[in-house]
Amino acid sequence: MNNTLLALTISLLFGMGTFLILRRDIMKVIIGFGIVSHAVNLYIVASGVFSEGKVPILEHGEHVNQGLVYNDNLANLAAGIVGPTTTAPYTEFVDPLVQALVLTAIVIGLATTAFILTLAYRIYEEYGTTDVQELRRLWG
Amino acid sequence: MSFLMQHLPILLIAIPLLMAPATILTKAYPGFQKALDIVASLVLLGLSGLLLSTVWDGGITVYEVGEFGKYGIVLVADLLSASMVVLSCLIGCMGLIYSYDYIESKSLNLTYHSLYNLMLAGINGIFLTGDIFNLFVFFEIMLLSSGALIVANETSTVTKISDKMEATMKYIVLNMLGSNVMLIAVASLYASIGSLNMADIALKVRILSEAGTMPWHIYAIGLLFIIVFGGKAAVFPLHYWLPDVHPTAPSPISAMLSGVIIKIGAYGILRILFVIFAPLKGVFGPIILVMALITVGLGATAAIGQTDVKRLLAYSSVSQIGYVFLGFGMGAIAYEAGEIAGAVLIIAASFVYLVNHALAKSMLFLTSGGIIHKAETRDMRKMGGMVDSSPVMAATFLVGAMSIGGVPPMGGFISKFMLFDAGLKSQFYLPIGIALVFAIFTLFYMFRGWILIFWGARDPQYGEYSHHGLSLLMVGPIVVLAVLVFILGIYAEPILGIANTIALQVMDPNPYIDAVLTRVIR
Repeated sequence: MNNTLLALTISLLFGMGTFLILRRDIMKVIIGFGIVSHAVNLYIVASGVFSEGKVPILEHGEHVNQGLVYNDNLANLAAGIVGPTTTAPYTEFVDPLVQALVLTAIVIGLATTAFILTLAYRIYEEYGTTDVQELRRLWG
Repeated sequence: MSFLMQHLPILLIAIPLLMAPATILTKAYPGFQKALDIVASLVLLGLSGLLLSTVWDGGITVYEVGEFGKYGIVLVADLLSASMVVLSCLIGCMGLIYSYDYIESKSLNLTYHSLYNLMLAGINGIFLTGDIFNLFVFFEIMLLSSGALIVANETSTVTKISDKMEATMKYIVLNMLGSNVMLIAVASLYASIGSLNMADIALKVRILSEAGTMPWHIYAIGLLFIIVFGGKAAVFPLHYWLPDVHPTAPSPISAMLSGVIIKIGAYGILRILFVIFAPLKGVFGPIILVMALITVGLGATAAIGQTDVKRLLAYSSVSQIGYVFLGFGMGAIAYEAGEIAGAVLIIAASFVYLVNHALAKSMLFLTSGGIIHKAETRDMRKMGGMVDSSPVMAATFLVGAMSIGGVPPMGGFISKFMLFDAGLKSQFYLPIGIALVFAIFTLFYMFRGWILIFWGARDPQYGEYSHHGLSLLMVGPIVVLAVLVFILGIYAEPILGIANTIALQVMDPNPYIDAVLTRVIR
């Protein structure tokens, strides 16, 4: 049930964002990009492992693994079980990697939005309009 | 020295990243700032050469950033990455030297240096990283800094600031869309494979395909990556931003955009589709082939009618990147048909094409900056007879036009000959036939441009040419690049050897996977 709701939310946000990106007003396009990037962020979070709800911090002195960096069990994969997995004693943690990814994506989205907003303001100053159809000095 | 050798890959990203704040802090002393940046970019060029020779002698170099074991970011320098880094550092260094007399001094002192260094850091990071999310991060660094550089002020006022902003808007909006698509692809890949390391993903995709349990959405993820890198490289359905963006940017930035940044798309296709999604080559090969053929035809046909010198060069870039992708498509199909030797030959030819186009086109864009300075217009119909007053520009533009058109003895001839020869050996008669027709178009539009600008006489109604010639700082980079184009034409063995090894590494990702995966936790 929760999964279905999450999927519905993501798809709704994508739809709204796409609708706004296709508008003629630059501001609506930018807002649409904001909504789409939030949908993408939700999508990234949804791709992690959430078996139990424990915070992914190990006790002092514990080590996850030793030896080779990559020692995954590849037999699972050949049997058709795909997706991020956790090994035996650490099954109850949530996936910390997707949260790090989302944090990075949010920060990058902030920078791009700031840049494009400044650009939109300067375009309004130069052209006197925020209608993208009026930006046609390069046409031809 | 051993410190240098040990930390070579990260230095190529860290030095430009450090120079970005350093050039802001020294903005009160413009002379010192310029000297600092030029020294840094020369050091970077030297280090990239050192990296290439290290990789050539000692095989794939893996550098661990931080100690996070399986989830840590690795920098992997194989021969493909190292040679792309050399290319970006070379063109970056030349573009920087050229900018000193080309960019308006206020913009140059304030933000230009730091943005330029950030762009170099982003490009080097894209080429060196071994982590697919990290690739996205460097994409964004490169995108934002290059977007801000397109609106930098030049000393000439031929291109209006409003045009630049309009072009940047197109560039940023399309690339934001591309980066959202890329994020979706990366997240889907993580959800289905459970890893972000490129070598690990490559291994697991191969295991899935050998076991016959490949989930269908891996194909969809591969298609998303084609959209992302096709958009970066301006391949057919997503090519329309390039002819607006490249001409309006300042000439050194146009050189970087056409020389290096659209090559990122080609690098991404080689890295992601040929190394990571290696078992799916048969599905993506025909798609890339068809898109590339349309791109070749569209770019060449549109370039014929252009009257704006930089727009001509931009459409030519669209057409030429089509040839590079044509090689990728043919290589993938040939590999799938079992002709491994033929596929290696085709990919090697594509790489040689990529390098030659990068050098020749960045040189042409730098030359076009000088032409615009002198004629004070970008319209070729208002030029003519420039060969008398500026013979150096006429000669270098001719070298570039010959190389792009594929006339011996320039580098472009070697690359076109290799690509067509390799394609015919693997029996791609129809695609090579179409490409050959548009190669004649290429010859026509490049020489039409040269004749319009340099031959004949200028119509008196447009007045005299200005006395703004090329200064020494502007001639130097152009001549260096022109000489390189010439050398690659008459002495092509080294680049052919490197390209062949790269093609072997791309076709057989096992050494790459082994080098990354068999590491011990420190």
